[in-house]
Order: sequence, then structure tokens, then C-alpha cells
Amino acid sequence: MTLAPEKKTKKPRKLSMKARYEALTRGLDWEPSYVTKEEMFPHLEYEGIKIHDWAAWEDPFRLTIDAYTKYQAEKDRRLYAVLDGFAQGQGHLNLTDAGYLNAMKLFLQGVTPLEYAAHRNFAYLARHFAGPGPRFAALCQSIDEIRHMQTEVHTLSNYNKYYSGLHNWPENHDRMWYLSVPKSFFDDALSCGPFEFLIAIGFSFEYLLTNLLFVPFMSGASFNGDLPTMTFGFSAQSDESRHMTLGLEAIKFLLEQDEDNVPIVQAWLDKWFWRAYRVTALVSQMLDYMLPRKVMSWKESFELYFEEQMLKGLFEDLAFYGITPPRHVADAVQEKDVLSHQVYWILYQFSFAAGFTTTMPTPEHQQWLSQAYPDTFDTHFKPLWDKEARNIASGGRHFTRGLPQLCQVCQIPMAFTEPGDPTTLCQRESEFEGEIYHTCSNGCQWIFEREPEKYRQAWLPVHQIYQGNCGGPSVPEVLEWYHLQDGDAGEYLGSRDHTNWLTWQGEAAAETASHENKAGA
Amino acid sequence: MQYELKTQVIEPQRHTFTHVAKRFGDKPASRYLEGSIDVQPTEHFHYRPTWDPTKEIYDESFSVFRLADPYSYLDPRQYYYAPYVTARSGHHDAFGTSLEYIENRGLLGRLPDGWSAVLGELVVPLRHLESAGQLILCGMARFGYGATITQAAAYSAFDRVGNAQMISRVGIALGGGTTETLTAAKDHWMGDESLQGLRRLAEETIVEADWGVALIQLDALDQLVYDLLWSHLDDAAVTGGAPAYSLIAQHMTNWYTDNRTWIDALYAAWRADPELGAHNADLLAEHGRNAVDTALAALTPFAQRLDARLDAGALERVAATAAASLATFAADQA
Repeated sequence: MTLAPEKKTKKPRKLSMKARYEALTRGLDWEPSYVTKEEMFPHLEYEGIKIHDWAAWEDPFRLTIDAYTKYQAEKDRRLYAVLDGFAQGQGHLNLTDAGYLNAMKLFLQGVTPLEYAAHRNFAYLARHFAGPGPRFAALCQSIDEIRHMQTEVHTLSNYNKYYSGLHNWPENHDRMWYLSVPKSFFDDALSCGPFEFLIAIGFSFEYLLTNLLFVPFMSGASFNGDLPTMTFGFSAQSDESRHMTLGLEAIKFLLEQDEDNVPIVQAWLDKWFWRAYRVTALVSQMLDYMLPRKVMSWKESFELYFEEQMLKGLFEDLAFYGITPPRHVADAVQEKDVLSHQVYWILYQFSFAAGFTTTMPTPEHQQWLSQAYPDTFDTHFKPLWDKEARNIASGGRHFTRGLPQLCQVCQIPMAFTEPGDPTTLCQRESEFEGEIYHTCSNGCQWIFEREPEKYRQAWLPVHQIYQGNCGGPSVPEVLEWYHLQDGDAGEYLGSRDHTNWLTWQGEAAAETASHENKAGA
Repeated sequence: MQYELKTQVIEPQRHTFTHVAKRFGDKPASRYLEGSIDVQPTEHFHYRPTWDPTKEIYDESFSVFRLADPYSYLDPRQYYYAPYVTARSGHHDAFGTSLEYIENRGLLGRLPDGWSAVLGELVVPLRHLESAGQLILCGMARFGYGATITQAAAYSAFDRVGNAQMISRVGIALGGGTTETLTAAKDHWMGDESLQGLRRLAEETIVEADWGVALIQLDALDQLVYDLLWSHLDDAAVTGGAPAYSLIAQHMTNWYTDNRTWIDALYAAWRADPELGAHNADLLAEHGRNAVDTALAALTPFAQRLDARLDAGALERVAATAAASLATFAADQA
């Protein structure tokens, strides 16, 4: 028996890695002829962006599907092993304090839904961009984002079984007043065309501000014994670095395609810097007030991650394209000494209507704040807490029963002060078609006046409550409509989580003591 | 004999999230359910999309197909991200092993001429059809309503990129490690008469604004194409001395079988809807009939060319599959 001789084959000329990647990904596109290109990609003109050569998009990663799935599957295998082990060993008892979880409640209610929204809208980019390179990058990010949403939910799922405030996060996000801050921010991006979304989320959110928004939660977790969240944070890191690279590639691509794109992109940067920065207001108070064991102050974080890395690093590079630092950035810099204190003071007074609890900072905590904010804390904010200490001593922990006025753009209660003057409230007014609209800052006012027809559509929780659209016009009716359960809201000390925590820690201590006694006997 | 680990016993306050408990009771829920149920926002959208101010950001009216409760649809595979990428990692690994074997044994070079022509002229160009599927399903992942539906669509869109890359790798191997076959295949896709029906249908389905209708059009075409190329021709390859083709076909069929699961479940959910079921069934029959007719017409010149190359009874097979497919779309399939 003989084997059939092989047919003569050409000596394979192996493709280079780059050529092979391009053959697998780029060559797939074609010019349509049975429909027009405008019919196939109808959203590419109206924002004014001009793209001459989609092929100029550089793929920074050259990931093929087999490599992607293999790598991601391995990461998830390790992450879920940690989550399972943590749940089995009652790892939540090793947190610094149950109060730490307020940070995670805010994260699940406020940030996780944004991951989901990013998932949906990167799929929109993956449908509507006319170039296969950015389309595939967007599709990868779309399914990365569903990963982040789900791994966050699965990470916090175990805490939800034992602690309050985590149980109803999707509805919270749609309904609760402070969550309209992140929700309206992302809805703003979702209602944009593909290029503005790319700058808003792909660049401003994922690149410019990701270290201010996302990293503080993960660092807070590692400082406070939250092993699952920390592991999630590490596990998301390589995805995030891909997303950051995509964001940077995106802005350079738009700027290099046509000079006319530069002023459009600049205006978007101006807008989205301030929009995203206002969302970080919630993060600022988390860092300074919600973490039992501190990582760094908001001020330090802002100086390191924004002033050093972005203003000095990134914007020096972008100057080459004629891009300048975002408008109103000086206001943000001036605010770093007061932001977290003003925001926490709001949340402290209104936490009876929130999905987390608040408490007065202890004397040690206040000492830390005073050291971290030598120019402002003792002068402007310690007096508030001294007064509150007297209230509590006489049995009257302070909650504000009225409803605050909200900024028409960022939707944070209007409690910020004038840049550089912590004693004067900052209030801006704009008129549009005979109506007056209020904004909290120069940045928000500028954003409003650029697109008043958009921002007047805002679903402002306080207006909606007064109109009776939130279960009824009274506070108890609204709280019922929020579906808050006992223990979700209010003061932390004496709350359900706090009481349980003391009991569980007591049981653990008693257990240890009894073992030691036996061992000693 | 067992040893006893002592752990602190703590009674949970609840067993799952409130929104999951509302549907399935307060008991421990799967990661699929906790990561999928009700995660899409449904109310109080702040602004209208600038590209279509008549719609909300998430809006049921992006399709004529609706469910009274979108979460009456669950993916039977229970794919959330982790099991999805794990399954696909294995899938692509297995394909890579087959392709390596094919290349080491020089099996593509030893294909009979007819098979070689079919692979280069008719099969490799379909990587562009997979690319069209990617766009169509990305549209569904954005504009669909309800996270269980859009999640399945997003993974399927990602699968299409994977399919296109699998076919492309075959094309590169067929071209002896070069892009020659891919380039020639693209010329075919653009100009060869046997492929123009498919290209026209691909382009028209990409621009179909209703994601439900687009899904049916894509699916009707898949039903014919995957059966013909990867099931019917697989049998012919086994008897026709084309083991390389068969080795490739198994992976395409495995994917297709898996992909059917979520689509069939969606059709079933549409029909079973307590309020809209009858209406959905009528819509499925109407759009399914159109889709199968269009797909059959588009595929006919393709099947004729195949028969000219291999005499494999392709035209007959496609007609038979279309008839069977029509029956599954018909309204009495409750």
C-alpha cells in the first residue's frame, strides 16, 4: 500500500502578524452597491465630523476572537473562584466595618448601571461606524462592559444577602434622586450621535476621568478588606487599559482626519469633562467620608490623577493638534478643597431618602479631614459638624425634610459655592423660550446654554416629586415608591447593618474566646 | 468518615436581589438571572436620542415584535459573559486543533478540484456574509428591548466575527499561507453572479431598521446556508474524498446548533406571550414567509454554481430546507 503523493503545494509565505491580523479583520468590509453607503450608515453625517479614511484607524491590540475568548475565560475562572471562596468562608466579616459597604451601595446603584449602558451603546457604535477597525474595537468593548456589569453584580451579590441597600439597584437607578446624577450623565451620552458618544464615554469617561471615577472604589475595597471587589478591580484592569487605549486612539483619529473636526471635538471635551467631573462629586465624598479606612483624600486624588496625569501629561500631547485643556477646568481645580465636604453634607441631610446610610464623622475622622484639608475643613466645615454634634447630644440628628433645588444639567442639589469663595452659594440662571433654568456652576450653565433644547427635557427628580409623579407629593409616598426596605436608608449608627455587624462580630469574638478558654483549660 | 469544618453560621437577610425575587421567589438565584434580569433601565429617560427624537433611549417600538414582559424570554444556554467566553474559548481551540491537523497533513492541497473550487469561490466569500451578520446583530444588541434578548444578540454578533475569522483562516490556509484566496474571494463576493443574491440580501438586511424583522431575515438565510454547506455538503465530503472539508464543517455545525437555541427560544417566547402571542405568531408567519422566499431566491444561483462544481444536489436540498423552514415559521407552530 502506498500513500497518494501530495499535490504540489506552493511553499507557504507566512504572513506577518500584522498582515495576518488585517486579513482576519480588515478585509471583511466592502462597498455596498445594492443600498447606498448613507443608507447603511445613516448617523455619520449629522454631527459634522468628517472621516476621509476609516482604514487609518490603528488597532492598538490586534486581538483575534480565539485569543480574546481564551484570555477572558481564564480571567473569569480566577475571579469567580475568589468570589466562591469568599462566600463560603463568610469573608464579609473581615471588612473594616459594615459602614464601608455604603461605598459599594453607591457603586452598585450608580456605576454598575453605567457599565450596562456602555455595553448597549458600544454595540451602537459597532453597528454604525463605517470602518471595520473601530467597529470591532467597539464590539469588544461592548461585551467587556457587560462583563463588568455582571462581575460587579456577582461580586456584590454575596453582600446583598447579608446587608441592606444593595437589593434593588436597577429600580433605584431609574428612580432615586441622587442617582439621576449618573443616570442623566449617561443618558446624555446615549442620546448623542456615534462620534460624540465616542468622545464622551470612550475618551472623557474611560480615559480622562477613569482614575478619578473607578479606581477610588477599587482602592477603597483593598484598604477595607473587600477582597472580591478588589479582585474584580484587578480583573477589570486589563479590559480598562484596552478601553483607555481605544479612547486615546479615538480622539487622535478624529483630530487627524480633518482640521474641521478640531473645534467640534474641543467643544465636546469642554462639555464632557465638566459633565463627568460633576459625577465624580459623588466619588469625592465616598473617598473622604464613606471609607472607614482611608486611601487618600479627594484632593490628593484629584491632584495626582487629574492635574498631574491629565493636565500635565495628556493635554501637553494634545496641544499638538490644537486642543486646549477643557473650559472650566480652573473651577474644578479651585473646588478640590471644598467639593467632598459640600456633597457629603447634602447626602448626610437627605440620607433618609437614599439607598445608603450616613453618619457624622468621628473625632478621629474629623482630625484626618482637617489634616487633609488644612485650608478649608476647620474654617468652613468643622463648625457644621460641631453644631450637628450638639444636635445629636440633644437627641436631634439632623435630616432636612424639604426638597432641594436641583441643577438643570448635573442634577446635584444647588449647594456648591462660588469658585474660590466657600462662603457664597453659586447659582446661575438662564432663560430659554420664556422659562428660567437654574444651574450650579459656570460649567453647567455653559452646557445648558449650548443645548437648551436638550437639557430642558431633563427628568428632574424634585420637579417630578412636586408634580406627584413619584408615588405622590409627600415624602412617605415617595419613599414607598422607592421600595426602600427597613435598614436601607437613614443614620448608620443603630441601623440594621450596624446592629447586625456588632452582633456578628460579638459572636465571632465569643467563639474565639471560648476556643481560647478550652485551649487554656 | 468526614471531617467537620467549623464556620460561623449567619442567617442571610435575603437570598437574592428584589427584582429577581419578584419573578422567581426569594431563593438563591443563578448568576445568569442575577446578571440579566431587569438590568436594562425602563423609565425616566432624560433626553430623546438626537438621531431619532420620536424614540426613547430604550424603546419597545424599535420592532413590531414585542413581549408583554421582556423577561419572559430567557436564553436556554443561560449565557452570561463568563460561560459564554468559556464556551467560545473551547470552540475556537477545537477549531484551531482541526485546522492545524489539516495544515500538517496538507489536506487542503489534496482536495479534489471541485471541492477546492467550492471552498475558494463559494465558501470563503461567505466570511463577508458573517460580517453582515455581525452588523445586524449589533443593531439588535443596541435597539432590542430587554437585557436577556439583547445579551444573546450581542454574543451572537461577537460569534459572527469569530465565524468570519474561522473562514478567513481556512482561506489563508487554502492560499498556502497568503491572502491570495481571500482577495479572490472578495472579488467573487463583489462581482460573481452566483453570490450577488446573497450580497444584495446582506446589504438589505443590514439596513432593515426593525431588529426583529432583520433577525428573521438573517435566520432564514442561515437556516438554508448552514444546512447546505455544513450539513448536506459535509455528508458529500465524507464520501467524496474531502476530509478537510468535513473537519471544518463539524465546527460550523456545532456553532449553528448552539446559535439556534437562543433564536428558537425567542420565537417560542414571542408566540407564548399571554397578551401579544397571537399577534406575534401572525407576524412571524408573515415575515418568516417573506424571509424564506427571499433567502431561497438569493441562494438559488449559489446552489446552481455549487451543483455545477460538485453535482451535490444542492438546489434540491435548498428547496427542501426552505419548505421545512416555512413550516416552522407558520402560525400554527405554537
